[in-house]
Amino acid sequence: MTLTRRLRLRYVLPLAASLGAVAWLVAGPLRSNIEYFRTPTEALAALADGEDGRFRLAGEVVTGSVEETADGVTFDVTDGANTVSVIHRGSPPELFGDEVPVVCEGRWAKAGATFESDRILIRHGNEYRPPEVTTTSGPAS
Amino acid sequence: MKETATTRTWLTPVLGVLALGSLAVLAVLGLWVAPPDAVQGDAQRLMYVHVPTATLAYVAFGVTSLASALYLWRRTRAPRWDRLAASSAELGVVFTGLTLVLGMLWGRPVWGVYWTWDARLVSTAVLFFLYLGYLALRRVIVDPDARARRCAVAALVAFADIPIVHYSVEWWRSLHQDSTLLPGGRLDPEISGDMLVALLWGMVAFALTYAYLLVRRCRLAAMEEGLEQRVLDVAVAERRAEAAPVAAPVATPVPAPVTGGGRA
Repeated sequence: MTLTRRLRLRYVLPLAASLGAVAWLVAGPLRSNIEYFRTPTEALAALADGEDGRFRLAGEVVTGSVEETADGVTFDVTDGANTVSVIHRGSPPELFGDEVPVVCEGRWAKAGATFESDRILIRHGNEYRPPEVTTTSGPAS
Repeated sequence: MKETATTRTWLTPVLGVLALGSLAVLAVLGLWVAPPDAVQGDAQRLMYVHVPTATLAYVAFGVTSLASALYLWRRTRAPRWDRLAASSAELGVVFTGLTLVLGMLWGRPVWGVYWTWDARLVSTAVLFFLYLGYLALRRVIVDPDARARRCAVAALVAFADIPIVHYSVEWWRSLHQDSTLLPGGRLDPEISGDMLVALLWGMVAFALTYAYLLVRRCRLAAMEEGLEQRVLDVAVAERRAEAAPVAAPVATPVPAPVTGGGRA
């Protein structure tokens, strides 16, 4: 009897651990990240409402806005309607550049409408194609 | 004794050769024939294994759900559906784990991070732990029929996460991109030429691998069940012999082998 009980206990623990992990994931990260990022328009609206704290800002890097600084880069991100200046500390990822869709993690600078980022994620699309633009019309980049 | 215990059937050599061969072809297609991506370069080649493993995880859990439903329905209830459900779930967990690891390896060079807490990644992690829990549950319940019934219900509940994983990139904002083959739920691939061929071939190769492993795992499950039954029969026979000591006189010179510590 005690043997079977001990055997069952050996599997009850992994079962409880698995269910615990599921519960934690759903109640924690999933709930707090359901709004994964804000667009510049939404972020500015939230700033006007006096919201403070860390969030993710997503948009496209404005062409020609990237400038290297002593400890990182500054650039502008846009959603088409609004644009936000970003000050990033650290080196940006490899694929970073003009017109690249990015997600920046950080918070508003104390002064106001400048976003202080400490992490840049590249948001790539679901389209894949060979490097050389073959026969499709339009400007080849 | 009367037969050598093996998980081999007439199907396994066929499936095994096909699976190995198609994986070798996939390596050639994915690494040489398909061109590197314009934006991501060679890192994008991980797609040819990441997407197929994810798809086969869906398929495996789908088979588990179907088999579980067949077990729950009285007219089709048979132990083999329970074995199929368990075997497929195990492979589904392996494929989900592979999907997560391959996705992380792909994410690091492209996104810049191995992991981020977006809806697709978190719901996939949930899927992994749900079915890990299912496999643990299978070990907790001892009675075969009760185990089969309760685990079938658990499997059907866990399956609810599959549509959540699949549509997570459409329902919520995520870092993970939308589906390439079925963007917006329509069959309109955002990929073409040799890249599409490699991707579809990957699906075929992993499907064959899944089928091969599934046949072997199901055979193993049947053998395990037979062993379980045999152990049970021996235990019952021992108890009977213990319970009726008077009926059996000392005619036989105690040949009973000492099998297992009966009581603690």
